[in-house]
Amino acid sequence: MSEKRSTLAGLAFTAPWLLGASVFLFLPMFLSAWYSLTDYPILKAPVFVGLANYTELLGDARFWRVVMHTAIFAAISIPLSTAVSLVLAALVATPGLRFANLYKAIIFVPTLVPMMASAMIWLWLFNGQYGLINGLLAAVGFANGPNWLTDEWFVIPAVVIASLWGVGQAVVVYAAAMKEVPRELYEAAGIDGMGVLSRFWHVTMPMISPVILFNVVTLLIGTLQIFALPYVLFRNERGQNASGDFYTLMLYDNAFVNQRMGYASAMAWLQMVVILVLTGIMFAASRKLVHYRA
Amino acid sequence: MATLSDISRRSALGLLGAGAAGFALFGPRGRSAPPKGRLVLDYWEKWTGLEGKAMGEVVDAFNASQDRLFVRYLITGTIHQKALISIAGGVSPDIIGLNSFTVPTYAESGAILPLDDLAAKAGLRMNDYAAGMRRVMQHNGRWWATINTGGTLALYYNKGLFAECEAELRQRGLDASRAPRTIEEWELASEAITKTKQDGTIERAGHLHIEPGWWSWIWGYSFGGTIFDEDRQLALAGSAENLAAYAWLERTSAGRVEHVKRFTEGFGPYGTARSAFLTGQVAMVVQGPWLANQIKEHRPNLDYGVAPVPTAAAVYDPAAPIACIDTDVLMIPAGAKHPEASMEFIAFTQRQDNVEKLALAHCKGSPMVKASDSFVAQHPNRGVRLHTQLADSPRAFFAPRTPVWAEMKDPFDTAVLSMWRQQLQSGPTLAGLQRGAQAMIDRNNKLKQRRGEPTAGPTSGPAAAGATS
Repeated sequence: MSEKRSTLAGLAFTAPWLLGASVFLFLPMFLSAWYSLTDYPILKAPVFVGLANYTELLGDARFWRVVMHTAIFAAISIPLSTAVSLVLAALVATPGLRFANLYKAIIFVPTLVPMMASAMIWLWLFNGQYGLINGLLAAVGFANGPNWLTDEWFVIPAVVIASLWGVGQAVVVYAAAMKEVPRELYEAAGIDGMGVLSRFWHVTMPMISPVILFNVVTLLIGTLQIFALPYVLFRNERGQNASGDFYTLMLYDNAFVNQRMGYASAMAWLQMVVILVLTGIMFAASRKLVHYRA
Repeated sequence: MATLSDISRRSALGLLGAGAAGFALFGPRGRSAPPKGRLVLDYWEKWTGLEGKAMGEVVDAFNASQDRLFVRYLITGTIHQKALISIAGGVSPDIIGLNSFTVPTYAESGAILPLDDLAAKAGLRMNDYAAGMRRVMQHNGRWWATINTGGTLALYYNKGLFAECEAELRQRGLDASRAPRTIEEWELASEAITKTKQDGTIERAGHLHIEPGWWSWIWGYSFGGTIFDEDRQLALAGSAENLAAYAWLERTSAGRVEHVKRFTEGFGPYGTARSAFLTGQVAMVVQGPWLANQIKEHRPNLDYGVAPVPTAAAVYDPAAPIACIDTDVLMIPAGAKHPEASMEFIAFTQRQDNVEKLALAHCKGSPMVKASDSFVAQHPNRGVRLHTQLADSPRAFFAPRTPVWAEMKDPFDTAVLSMWRQQLQSGPTLAGLQRGAQAMIDRNNKLKQRRGEPTAGPTSGPAAAGATS
């Protein structure tokens, strides 16, 4: 096949993706960047306002509140979720473990439940009066469990706990990566007198570090965009619980409730910049922390 | 034995094709395929369940009443967002049923058509509607919407619990045979009916501002205040009346926040038999006439009464009760292809017999001045006369008529919840809400100026109550 024909064939194969991405990704991104510089109430044409949306955001008390809540949630949820996934993966990847696939399935199945449905389940699990969690706490001697969904100090822990429900996907990926670690490395470490924990830390962790990096980056993106869980847990007919207000909830409200698409677009772009910067920092740090096999 | 690999590509494609053809020929069909030769109008409505079904019957009656038009009726959740996107995208339905608070936003955005001429041609007259409803239907001096059923808020109270607590009520100088009329009576009645255990656990509440908590902004009106002066474009959340109202709200939750939180978490959602008023967990709620439908459906034996929402003694006037109007509206989106045909359908729904049929099914009052004797006689809502009176009251009020209302309401809801939970103090919070709301109003007016639009229209307040078509 000539080079020209080969190029044309390549373009033909990638055309559907290029077309789809152009229409449904790049064009909306470009429009959103433009809208972020306008006043756009959806039902009227956008009017250019320069950086007014961005400067207004900096003085918006709700903006700082949701930034703080989202940052706290990410700071707790990402390390905890990663640690839990790694521990569970290490357990199910234990050589010779009976029913390993069954355990993997049990851990993975919750990720197949739609987020709205699992959020509804958590809504009842966290119920202060009839919830199973407070019931269990009462059974072990804590008669007055917290009001998870309304107490200022328990709202973010509640979202963190509920989000752990979705670690199954990471567990499966980590477990697969652990299986790929060459046995001889463990044997050599054993000969050197390393214990189980030491082998996990000095052999397993470096060997699966590229997978950890990938999972942490996707977790970061997902965590900073959290929406469905707090929407179901903390928003009801009585309004939004201020302690359970998150960045994407505010963005959604501005776009589709307050009809301020320009303001919402500015929020979306700030969010993207923050995610890009944090991802960049992670990749920079990965040069020292992530071990790629030759 | 044949395996999958034995099936040829042609056979596989043939099977798939046969399946697709079968699905196309015998698969599921839309509930009401439009008959040929008729002009099809798309009508989107927010009502679901019993209310949606009742409106569906009106649509069916219209479709059966003539052979030129066919209304395709679509019940849709989150209708506000969908309406917004479809109108902005130029693919709007022909008729849309929304809530009254959307009228100013949609009218000022040019998203709906003014109905003055269309309604006049279809024989509708503004004076046929109750005074409060007329104000809801208009904005900036024009007619934008019609109303199918009248929604006004009143105090629904559990007569059985009042009778059970007769001694406690009498002890506080109250009459157990009627609802409280003033805020002072309301607070005392609530105290008398509330039942708590020794450890503070609440078993029953007289009244809770947050149940159902849908109208967090209305309490200042019961003290003679408002949160928005439309003529002067001023936010008034920090007024003396609002300060008094929210201090009252704070007072009623003080010292029992944790118990109330736990108590309210046990309430079932509205629309179910486990909602707090239906189970008797809360004895008094501020609600619309639709509550009677829930009672009829889930607790037909519940002995309830309906009264005007109590007010501060200084502004109490039984002849002119203070009441919030929160009702449905029918509008024609600007992108509707056949506005006159849309109006023909709307006019059909506004006929007295159809209005009353729908209002009966919804347990609501009629938005019209006149109601037939049989309508009142057979109405399932005990408070229908009161709801009709409230709609006609000169002190009836509604959500602030400003396009930034949705934006103003959101922080209001959140702040009121926080005040109720004693996380914020009413004084500084209301001052902050006023500042924030004023900034939104000013920003909106500034942008309107920039677009060359008029900034403040003629009043739609009490002065406009006598507006005619």
